[in-house]
Amino acid sequence: MDKRLVIIGSGPAGLVCALNALKGDVRAEDILIIEREEELGGTLNLCIHTGFGKGNKTGTELATQLADKVKSSGINYLVNTTVISFDKNKEITVVSPQIGYEKIKAEAIVLATGCRERSRGGLSIGGTRPSGVMSAGTAQRFVNLEGYLPGKRTIVVGSTDLAVVIARRLTLEGGNVLCVCDRRSKPQVDKADISECLDFFNIPLKLRTTVTRLFGKERLEAVELADLDKNGKTIRSTRRILECDSLIYSCGFIPENEVAFSAGVEMKRATRGPVTSRKLETNIEGVFSCGNARYIHSDVVDVMTDGKKAGKFVADYLRDLAKKKRTQGEQV
Amino acid sequence: MKNKVYDVAIIGAGIVGAMCAFYLSKYKLNVAVLEAGIDVASGTTRANSAIVHAGYDAAEGSLKAKLNVKGSLMVEPIAKQLGVHYQRCGSLVIGYSENDLEHLNRLLVRGKKNGVKGLEIIDENRLHEMEPNVSKNAKYALYAPSAGIVCPYDLAYATCENACTNGVEFFFEYKVDKIEKKGQTFMLYAGERLISSKYVVNCAGLYADEIAALIFESLPFKIIPRRGEYMLLDKSEAGVVKHTIFVTPSEKGKGILVSPTVDGNIIVGPNANVVESKADTGVTIEGLQEIAQGARTMVPEINLDSVITTFAGVRSTPTSGDFYIQASKKYPKFIHSAGIESPGLASSPAIAEYIIELLKKAGLKLKEKDSYIKTRTKNGNCKLFYDMTEEERKKAIQRDPAYAKMVCRCEMVTEGDIINAINRPIPAHTVDMVKRRTRAGMGRCQGGYCRARVAEIIARELNISVEEVKKFSSNSHILCGRTK
Repeated sequence: MDKRLVIIGSGPAGLVCALNALKGDVRAEDILIIEREEELGGTLNLCIHTGFGKGNKTGTELATQLADKVKSSGINYLVNTTVISFDKNKEITVVSPQIGYEKIKAEAIVLATGCRERSRGGLSIGGTRPSGVMSAGTAQRFVNLEGYLPGKRTIVVGSTDLAVVIARRLTLEGGNVLCVCDRRSKPQVDKADISECLDFFNIPLKLRTTVTRLFGKERLEAVELADLDKNGKTIRSTRRILECDSLIYSCGFIPENEVAFSAGVEMKRATRGPVTSRKLETNIEGVFSCGNARYIHSDVVDVMTDGKKAGKFVADYLRDLAKKKRTQGEQV
Repeated sequence: MKNKVYDVAIIGAGIVGAMCAFYLSKYKLNVAVLEAGIDVASGTTRANSAIVHAGYDAAEGSLKAKLNVKGSLMVEPIAKQLGVHYQRCGSLVIGYSENDLEHLNRLLVRGKKNGVKGLEIIDENRLHEMEPNVSKNAKYALYAPSAGIVCPYDLAYATCENACTNGVEFFFEYKVDKIEKKGQTFMLYAGERLISSKYVVNCAGLYADEIAALIFESLPFKIIPRRGEYMLLDKSEAGVVKHTIFVTPSEKGKGILVSPTVDGNIIVGPNANVVESKADTGVTIEGLQEIAQGARTMVPEINLDSVITTFAGVRSTPTSGDFYIQASKKYPKFIHSAGIESPGLASSPAIAEYIIELLKKAGLKLKEKDSYIKTRTKNGNCKLFYDMTEEERKKAIQRDPAYAKMVCRCEMVTEGDIINAINRPIPAHTVDMVKRRTRAGMGRCQGGYCRARVAEIIARELNISVEEVKKFSSNSHILCGRTK
């Protein structure tokens, strides 16, 4: 199976990239999108709340809209298919229960692999390691896709958009969020989000506050909270214990680049995404990166803009490549 | 079960109990392993530095020295046989001063006397050539090329799985709380449950003294629980050191180390703090700061922003300073193995051999089985997708398309690997059991992506609801009911 353009990942970046490559005269049958989940749309499919794109859509609505456009345009896609590696010759190895173990050769690759949640390793929390502690993304999957509550009395650590959204969702679904706390002196989302997701539901936001210790041998039973001074050091006298059965953390995101690593794409330490040219090309010719895989964007609109750019640049690249091949052919 | 009398009952499925089961399973014997925890490697074996020490630390003439040097050479062939990751990466004990050099020379002499091969003192040029990121203040190092690294719980799983495949029976959540002697038989109770055996091996680790107390015996030393805290760094940091780096030891122990792991991470730790409870595996912020400071002194460039998880383990430090492996004074057929602190992992195969010698002396007859299976299961070593060659991957997917469904992207764990773990000789039925057998959830997102998926697969395979899936033990449920 050979394709001129293979896009890895079908989140907003990947889908918009495909649609814009089409506008840049790459034919639909020459494009292949590879998605590891059952449906196109990436993380948007977990976002059942509103606030996405024009018209204040839900994440799932936006995903469906973009996916429908791609499907009706005749662009090829594989779902349930994971890219495990690719090489400098742009030969891609994929696995899928439907097609098995396959190699796909591409002329250009766009890495639109999105991001993953940062682990809580950096939080440096003392105490035990019981159940009832999970990332906001895991909680979102349990609540929004499976219909289960991860806890009845929950502390949320971190004030990212994902953190405040899961705090609200848990409250709506019958949980009790005791507080959302963050080490920072300012929340990581704007005032409107705080008022919409937290204030409206009387969920306290505690800034310059962190969880310092967990209690409970098997299931989480309580946490110790402490205030932080200006230098980020815990103020011992403010330590207090709060009974709870769950802790949900959101420590931000890291670009997901396992596939890029496999090919030796050069990474930037600061962003943990690939080093890219002005045209979003990585150190490997014909391999592009966009969206949250390139660096963590602040919202989905920015991600889509990045995808759009990548679509244009990769179309330009393929056009130039074809031209080069033609002239070489004439010379032969 | 009540009428069956086992030939040997092993109390504890840590690395020592596991190795005993592994060796005893070669013989025509009925062997039972009684483990208080829910899984193999539930105690000290689960959380330690994962180092196969070369053997220059232990005092000459001690049992530790003898078993360490011997055992460390036995680990590699066992790992090969059972498909366990092992790497002879070598170790470097670095010294900053003339004083340290003196100490390193003492270790060199001691190591040579203990029989450690290839030991040498190297100068700063060679040290920094080998390890460019080690502090420029380090002037000397003791190089031990025979030191290695291994995954301790996988070594325990592998040996137990092999033992199980060869007929050894395992009983989990079997906390022996009463022992009676009836005629020639030991009656080992756990609440209402009873297992009888002619010979008993006490490999209960931190709790070995408590098992001894059940036969009204006290060990000639105390077991002090000492907690060690660790940080694990992202695979992106691989290569910052290539050998296991120690500082010159002090009275407090071998001190903090920085080492690669067989899975490609970097491990930093441990400190050593006496704790009240043997089960206190909690971490402290002060402790983490202590090991971070230690690591930065040794490897200034180390990127501690890349910590993906922190954890602690408790080791059983004997006040006597040496391993204690002896038959009970009262009952020659009851063998104690106690005070197995570092280098217990490296020594474990030799400890097991030593225990078997004691069993023989006490009268146990060893006849080799006619058919002995060398691998973890009848069908081989349960290779993970990640470890397979391209051809093996193709075949695995052809046989079972679940091997083409990626569940943990960080560590490249497929649904096939997880289903296999759930159906292995010692089956996984909790999220953590799956995690330790497959590495699903051990990567840089620490299960953020895959934990819910793993829980769903366990629920489906065991025909239970997701709500019933546990993290590790019976009260560690992950969910609290349905949403509204």
